[in-house]
Amino acid sequence: MILALFLLALRQTAAPRRLLLLTIVSLLPVGLTALLVALDEADLSGTVGGGFEPLLVSFILPLVVIVLASGAFGNEVEDRTLSLLTTKPVPRWSMVLAKLIGTIVVAAPMMAAVAVAMTAMPSDRETGVIIAAAAGSAVGVVVYASVFTWAGLVTTRALAFGLVYVLLWEALITGLLSGTRYLSVRSYTIGVMHGMEGSPFSENLAIGFTTAIVGAAVVTVLFFALAVRRLSRMDVP
Amino acid sequence: MTTANGASVEVQAVSKWYGNVVAVNDVSFEIYPGVTGILGPNGAGKTTLLSMMSGLLRPSQGHVRVLGEEVVGNVGLYGRIGIMLEHDALYPFMTGRSFVDLAAKLQGVSDPDAVEWAIGAVNLLDAQDRPTGQYSRGMRQRIRLAATIVHDPELLILDEPLNGTDPRQRVEFADFVARMSAAGKTVLISSHILEEVEALADRILLVVSGKLAAAGNHREIREKLDERPFVVRLVAEKQREMAAALVGLDAVESVRLEDGAIEVTTRNLADLQRSAPRLARDIGSRLYRIEPMDDSLESVFSYVVQR
Repeated sequence: MILALFLLALRQTAAPRRLLLLTIVSLLPVGLTALLVALDEADLSGTVGGGFEPLLVSFILPLVVIVLASGAFGNEVEDRTLSLLTTKPVPRWSMVLAKLIGTIVVAAPMMAAVAVAMTAMPSDRETGVIIAAAAGSAVGVVVYASVFTWAGLVTTRALAFGLVYVLLWEALITGLLSGTRYLSVRSYTIGVMHGMEGSPFSENLAIGFTTAIVGAAVVTVLFFALAVRRLSRMDVP
Repeated sequence: MTTANGASVEVQAVSKWYGNVVAVNDVSFEIYPGVTGILGPNGAGKTTLLSMMSGLLRPSQGHVRVLGEEVVGNVGLYGRIGIMLEHDALYPFMTGRSFVDLAAKLQGVSDPDAVEWAIGAVNLLDAQDRPTGQYSRGMRQRIRLAATIVHDPELLILDEPLNGTDPRQRVEFADFVARMSAAGKTVLISSHILEEVEALADRILLVVSGKLAAAGNHREIREKLDERPFVVRLVAEKQREMAAALVGLDAVESVRLEDGAIEVTTRNLADLQRSAPRLARDIGSRLYRIEPMDDSLESVFSYVVQR
């Protein structure tokens, strides 16, 4: 039953045109890094992706996950197909889990691949750094996926909500007020990267590795539970 | 399982409102095995009622019990109910067969022949391997029906199931509904077309403006509808003479001249239609047109609910 739901979610998430568009967007920081490497004018050894790490972690990663996760239920609500699922004897948690995994299975490899490509470009990069970049990105995908899967059930403007959230909270406020980094998915992502390998990941937002993992797990579980609760109680159009 | 009195569905003092808008207002009824039709004009609250019976909407007030159990939040109950809502919801990337197969898997159907049976029941085996995105409206309705019945439910809730179907499909659907009824199942069908419901249902619930206006068999409902006055517009060569002649007819309640035409109120439309040409001939006038002015279903329902 869960497998059927997961395959449906995967088929919906991996719509070819949307994937193509997101892949093009995802390749932006990779392309910029490649350009710097080709020009051979910068010392990239102390940076991830020639300094384009914030572009990936703060914008591209959340943007990709927002598009995929907010549509997981949001598109079902909009197309009025949600009732096809909710009128079946299927526990609500399994529906949310299937959607969540569907998003993660598509977005995590994509973002991990982008992080690996950016990190691996300087030829002297150690394998551990590359793995840390991939792992941190994957953690970011999981947390954002949980948050925006919930958002897709709460509002029909989840995409706009997500963009405002990322620009205001993740990019602006957590950059200005250091205490808020414990509630920032960007900090969890960088915290995992930094905790695994240290340099060359930026330190200014980094929190401890354990704190990052625990924070990521708490936020993921919290929003998963909120999504299940919402799906159980909402009026289905 | 039904309730103690044998009802499959109990709707008790149910209301549903959205802000200041009341969609359903203090409605109570029971539905028993057999075929029941919910009849009402568009926007009357039929879909809201069916959605509450399906557990998709929570009543703002009152209770709905289905097959003896509370329906809201009762996920397990969906294994005994088949629900087909009005909106034309399908996954266009799926074939008809994979759509019904998905429904069977989510329903936990173990019979390997169930999908074949359900698609055969709606006569769509020939087109089952085509993507549903290529289906006509009627085919989409039929494949949705197949997905609704694949687990052989005790109760079927079908919202406007005949939308988009052709006459042959309607006959087939009527046969299907009759078979379900004969098998002791409860079938609930909504429609805004009186003739549709008459042809299918043993009992009719008439819903207007969110209220239950009348309930009974089709004869009782039809009698109520037939009692209403019609307003008919006549255009004749000699308007005043024609109006004076019409006043003398037993079938006519009132006559008035309006915008170069005669507006006649009658409770016997057939008699007026027979008599008007004869009257025109008697007074030496040409009769150009006779047309009912308010024969819309909404006006019929409005009349019934205002009584």
